[in-house]
Amino acid sequence: MISFSSKLAPAAILLAGAIGLGGCATKSYVREQIAPVSQRVDTLETRLQETDGTAKSALAEAQAASGQLQNNGQRLDQLTGRVDGMDQRLQAQERKPAKRPRN
Amino acid sequence: MMHTFRALAALALLMSTTAAAQTAEQLVPPAVPDAVTGPSAAAMRVVDWVAASGDNHALPYVIVDKTTASMQMFDAKGKALGTVPVLIGIAVGDDATPGVGSKNLAEIGPAEKTTPAGRFLAKFGRPIGKERILWVDYATSVAIHPIPPGASKKEQRRKRMLSPTFADNRITFGCINVPMASYGKVIRPMFGKKGGYVYILPDTKPLEIVFPRIRVQPYRPSAG
Repeated sequence: MISFSSKLAPAAILLAGAIGLGGCATKSYVREQIAPVSQRVDTLETRLQETDGTAKSALAEAQAASGQLQNNGQRLDQLTGRVDGMDQRLQAQERKPAKRPRN
Repeated sequence: MMHTFRALAALALLMSTTAAAQTAEQLVPPAVPDAVTGPSAAAMRVVDWVAASGDNHALPYVIVDKTTASMQMFDAKGKALGTVPVLIGIAVGDDATPGVGSKNLAEIGPAEKTTPAGRFLAKFGRPIGKERILWVDYATSVAIHPIPPGASKKEQRRKRMLSPTFADNRITFGCINVPMASYGKVIRPMFGKKGGYVYILPDTKPLEIVFPRIRVQPYRPSAG
């Protein structure tokens, strides 16, 4: 019984060492494999943030332009009303016969 | 469609006794009509814009399309009342020469005989010694009225208006001549009280330059 245990002990040590060394090798391998992928993900994330920033900037500009367009439209409406009013007054004064049409 | 309203206008013209009595021109329709058979895309766009925006401010309005020498008529609520052929200024152009409104007809040069494009608030008024006409732009002496009795017979205005082509409808000094029946039955009753709007589409200028407010209106190509 004692001799059997003494024979197994080195084998157990060897097995444990093999498993331990094997585990270290696996982690290192994975790290090596992941490193370029992780770098690419970082790059893509940076570019995504840049694109997101550009899109937000474009949206802000578009909203500002839309607001400006609405303001311009309102001002144009106001001016149109004023011009119409002036036109009406002018034509009211011009009701009396004064000139000929261009036929 | 264009031929239909031209035919109706022709019938209306023939029924107008005064004009018919003043001319004995032989009415010969040209053999080859022009290709356009309906409102232009630009005209449709202006129609959509005015209807959607209420730009007419509850007044009647007409849309004059110089490229097809036609005029679409609408009541104050925007209901279409028909399209008629018109005669317009002989010169191509969208502006009026400064001072042209104060010139005699004989003093107006060929290039000055344009019908200016734009949006006008039109009102009836009385010119010198004539019956009331619809002033489109008093400053440049542009008005809407039937073919004047004093027009030169050489110009053959009735024949031009009756013809199915529109290239020959450029003959006036800048005014817009409309069929007598349309003038009496539609224009005069509608515009007589408060006036109305006249939209004259451009020959050469972009539509957005002549009608800036149309920029806000979404463009729908299918409408054309």
